Amino acid sequence: MLRIGIVGCGKIAEAHAEAIKHTPEAELVATCDLEILMARQLAERFAAKAFYDDLAQMLAEVKPEVVHITTPPQSHYIIARTCLEAGCHVLVEKPFTVNTEEAESLINLARAKSLKLTVGTDEQFSNVAMEMRELIKQGWLGGDPIHLDVYYCYDLGDERYARAFLKNRSHWIWQLPGQLIQNIIPHAVMKIAEYLNGSKIKVIAEGFTSHFLKNLGEIRLKDELRALIVDENQTSAYLTFSTSFRPPLRQLLICGPENSLLLDQDHQALVRIPGRTYKSYLDKTLPLNYLARQYRKNLFKNIRLFLKKKFQMKRGLFNLINFFYESIKKDGPEPIPYEQILLGSKIVDSIVSEVYKDSKQN
Amino acid sequence: MMIDNELEIAAHKGHDGIFVEPEVPVLVTGAAGFIGRQVVGSLLKKGLSNIICLIRETSDLSGLKRIIEDEQGEGKTRIIEGNLLSFEDCLRITEGVKIIYHLAAGTSTKSFSEAFLNSVVTTRNLIEASLRHNCLRRFVNVSSFAVYTNLNKKTGRWLDETCPVEKHPETRAEAYCYGKVKQDELVMEYRNKAGLPYVIVRPGTVYGPGKFFIPGRVGIDTFGIFLHFGGSNPLPLTYVENCAEAIVLAGLVPGVEGEIFNIVDDNLPTSREFLKLYKKNVRKIKSIYVPKAIGLLFCVFWDRIAKWSDGQLPSAFSYREWAAYWKKTYYSNRKIKDKLGWRPRVSTEEGLKRFFAASREYLKK
Repeated sequence: MLRIGIVGCGKIAEAHAEAIKHTPEAELVATCDLEILMARQLAERFAAKAFYDDLAQMLAEVKPEVVHITTPPQSHYIIARTCLEAGCHVLVEKPFTVNTEEAESLINLARAKSLKLTVGTDEQFSNVAMEMRELIKQGWLGGDPIHLDVYYCYDLGDERYARAFLKNRSHWIWQLPGQLIQNIIPHAVMKIAEYLNGSKIKVIAEGFTSHFLKNLGEIRLKDELRALIVDENQTSAYLTFSTSFRPPLRQLLICGPENSLLLDQDHQALVRIPGRTYKSYLDKTLPLNYLARQYRKNLFKNIRLFLKKKFQMKRGLFNLINFFYESIKKDGPEPIPYEQILLGSKIVDSIVSEVYKDSKQN
Repeated sequence: MMIDNELEIAAHKGHDGIFVEPEVPVLVTGAAGFIGRQVVGSLLKKGLSNIICLIRETSDLSGLKRIIEDEQGEGKTRIIEGNLLSFEDCLRITEGVKIIYHLAAGTSTKSFSEAFLNSVVTTRNLIEASLRHNCLRRFVNVSSFAVYTNLNKKTGRWLDETCPVEKHPETRAEAYCYGKVKQDELVMEYRNKAGLPYVIVRPGTVYGPGKFFIPGRVGIDTFGIFLHFGGSNPLPLTYVENCAEAIVLAGLVPGVEGEIFNIVDDNLPTSREFLKLYKKNVRKIKSIYVPKAIGLLFCVFWDRIAKWSDGQLPSAFSYREWAAYWKKTYYSNRKIKDKLGWRPRVSTEEGLKRFFAASREYLKK
């Protein structure tokens, strides 16, 4: 039985505690938060035996084998470092760290101590994302991906909620170098980082403030992003982040030399787009029938998954945690390779630096 | 037919005197909120002249400012920004304060942790800070009817302050209920360990212009059509101005420390009457009446499926929820009338009229 601790007992910690509860051979043994009442409430609700407001004390007394870090991102680095130094495997919520330098430092420390480290970009482990990975491994694309197109949207809510968010300048999001963009895009970036290679990545990014926010008087916060990313093998990716799209899409299109794939995260659908074309009007009918069948199949697959109890809203987190624990128990490979975490971190850094270069100059 | 509240016939015991001088510093947290601004208005009406209105940096102040202007409260009120999660802020705003009306709460979250943070941690900070100044005379903790359970009560019984609250609020799929139960527990703990002079008030469903919704006790529109669960159940409504006055009295009337008061108006309408009036006066909505037995079966069935599903379906409906919201219950306001001398100034008929008119206007916009 793996003994698990959680540091940071806010909203996202609930999702981790819930996933741990449903993970065999894992037990939440302690919670920790600077606010002891928060640590206590999470411990009480998820039957953890101990709660703390001091990380060092928790590590010394409970000696958890794994620590989940669900605090604001600015504290990820120091907490993860402390946990690794205490001999714990660590799962860090996204964004992994504030910059690549910190990410590299943590990964080096984990390697040196032979401990496992991962990041909570759980959408990479949703049922459909794993199915997509498997299809690509089997060669559905007919070779390496040529281009990826990822849409990742975020709903700021109605005007009232948006105003409240804008006024709440003490929130940690405002202290991040890339503010809202840096907090949200890691999910999208990690989806494409998985299929990009090498360390020489070219990024062209444009960020701006949406009309919606401008109408509320906000001019500094960038809540729209269009980015082009090209790796050293000329595999390219477009990344679109928006708070204005309706519906707020979360999709990934991967185009290969023979076929393509469309992953629809919102509806948990994976659509195979065959490269084959038909003559004349047959091309306007037969492929549509094929696509319709694909969507129907996705519907039945989702129903089957529900009946098998594998269709939780945060299924990706369940799967990621399971893979992470398995890698610890069997000393196998980490669920997300460190190179991928670093690449994702570099892409985010480049995007943030492009988008906020004017603010730096000022 | 309007249901006669049992207390309509109760003897009136008015308390004319207030136990503080008009210039005594009074703090209202959540002062920009739906109820908070009316509490400020009611304090001004009662002649209080040193009112600190605590607001968050994200608060919309238009409603509060309008009320202060209407009550000619400029010079008698101070609007202060602060965050109850900051102990330093709490120390600053409670300095010299003798009466606290604590209305700020996390109301719109589905996360239990967030509800706890915004209800319990904030309350702890506020209490600790005010106790440091050693001048607090009354702490009015605004709770809610959501804390009550009807689990072991027979249908058609009265609900009053002696009724049990949820022992396991974490099992109700309602973060707000969890936050409020824990907040009440904390306040009572401080009575035992530090002699906190608290009064807890528990309003029913607070309605009025500014809050445009059909109460959940009437039914739900989750599935695209309005499912009317309430039927002939009385609705524990309290018009926002009436509620605010009750809260104010809980801070001013002497000798009620450690007491709990429920706040509901007189002549409460049934759920069916409310829905009928809403459709007639505000907008047409398609609704289906769900008979009690079917509603109960639906909730029990949903709960079973949710438990079976390993967290796939949220436990949004259960026997606990049904008992708390849709089991037929009558509501007593005898205690608050007897001990605080409160009487609802705005009749339910008039309150509903104002509420429907404002809802119509809101929908037009």
